[in-house]
Amino acid sequence: MIKTPAYIHFVQPGLLSSIQDLGRFGMAVYGVPYSGVMDRFSMTQANYLLQNQFYDSVLEMGGPGAKMVFEMPTRVVFAGADADIYLNEKQVKAGKILDINEDDTIHVRKFRKGQWLYMGIQGGFESEIVAESRSWYPGITPQSRIEKSDSVCYLSEERFYPALGSHAKMNLNWFKHGEIKVFKGPEWDQLPKLTQNRIMKKSFTISTLVNRMAYQLEETIENEVEPILTAPVYPGTVQMTPNGNIIILMRDAQVTGGYPRILHVENNSLNILSQKRPGDKISFSI
Amino acid sequence: MDIRIFRIHSKLIELVWPKEISHEILHEQQQVRRFLEMEYAEGIREIRMGFNTLSLKLRIEISEEDCRDILEEINQMPKIHGTFASKIWKVPVCYCTEFGKDLEKLAQIHQLSIDEIIKIHSETIYTLHFYGFLPGFMYLGGLDEKLFTPRKSSPERSMPSGTVAIGGKQTGIYPSESPGGWHAIGQCPVRLFDISKEIPVIPAVGDKIKFEPITREVFVEIKQLSNQGLCTWHHD
Repeated sequence: MIKTPAYIHFVQPGLLSSIQDLGRFGMAVYGVPYSGVMDRFSMTQANYLLQNQFYDSVLEMGGPGAKMVFEMPTRVVFAGADADIYLNEKQVKAGKILDINEDDTIHVRKFRKGQWLYMGIQGGFESEIVAESRSWYPGITPQSRIEKSDSVCYLSEERFYPALGSHAKMNLNWFKHGEIKVFKGPEWDQLPKLTQNRIMKKSFTISTLVNRMAYQLEETIENEVEPILTAPVYPGTVQMTPNGNIIILMRDAQVTGGYPRILHVENNSLNILSQKRPGDKISFSI
Repeated sequence: MDIRIFRIHSKLIELVWPKEISHEILHEQQQVRRFLEMEYAEGIREIRMGFNTLSLKLRIEISEEDCRDILEEINQMPKIHGTFASKIWKVPVCYCTEFGKDLEKLAQIHQLSIDEIIKIHSETIYTLHFYGFLPGFMYLGGLDEKLFTPRKSSPERSMPSGTVAIGGKQTGIYPSESPGGWHAIGQCPVRLFDISKEIPVIPAVGDKIKFEPITREVFVEIKQLSNQGLCTWHHD
């Protein structure tokens, strides 16, 4: 099988677009965050459909606008957020393996539901591997975000693809429910019962402070919980600040934090949570 | 030893020491860490440190009962008295007001001269407890009480790479450009983090740090060497 390096040229980068895989492990002791895709479920789905390795890198997009041109043939598939995607001005569906030819253009327009859209590509992307991962992170990889007129490398394979009439039926509702499963965090027991009950019974709103590092909730919880000495935190750690803000750490989270760690989001729920958008409601359940 | 164990979920547990920053706790943390790495090498994916915590990310699932057993084992492990071998790293810092933008304000707050602040800050020997916050950021214990300063109420948008600063009861060096709420007192010309190296940092947990005041001229020289990758770290 002959593989030829080829590039995707970004005419428009879209919002918060980057290359991500499952993340960078083993470097947290030096202060390096894990990073990796925000929504592992969707990333894995895309790679599965393409018969890639489950850890192959994908293109992650945090909003509409990406417009890209492919140099050489390949196959791609979309998963994650429900968005309007066009291949050469013809609308295409998530979950369908798209045969890409030379000079084809993909344009991601409106996001209808969800926060992160994934494009898997045959064999994954060929961006630089830094400390055993292709996940982009500021200061660690040469780039942290795709900018206008950037190019990203992939390997074009010369092989016969049988035409695929069918495609995976994608359930775009999997992240619809707002119940986020959590474990008690190390400082949970320091909260008075009343505060604990308030947190578990409340319906919270995702604020506009949403990025790869953390999602902040709009509602605040009055508290007098003691500050802690700086301690390890992870993607999924739920912190509470002295003025009552609740911050859920996401994949690019710093490795240590100084706010009490009241809860810890369960893995599958973290994927669901990542797809929530500002204004969406969530509640915690232990 | 007064250690508690907290199980967040079946693959994430935390050992917690009393809430203080001390050499004794650091010494115990290092002992426990080495013990667990030897006894449970296959079961442990990652061990991270905080001032009074050891966080264990596991490959295997463990129960509350297992946690109690592990704690028991830790309490019974053979104790090593004395200290671990540690180096004292000399870290050059230019404490001029151009880099130490908050030196004057700090002098006012503490009713000290700028020279006195520099003297107190550079005569102390600090202990590296762990890395966190930013890649290559050292959490140092040992700041003199006289320099304790509450963090700024609103963080600066950008602290240049190498900024030496004081925040709360801590001091540290920003290894890369970042927003920050600490008070800048100087700048270090040496590179603190290099991802192209297998181990991207130089001082190890438990090592000591001593800041060495340098002039603006020496700062420029070291910075140039550092940019060419020719600057080396020095220790006693």
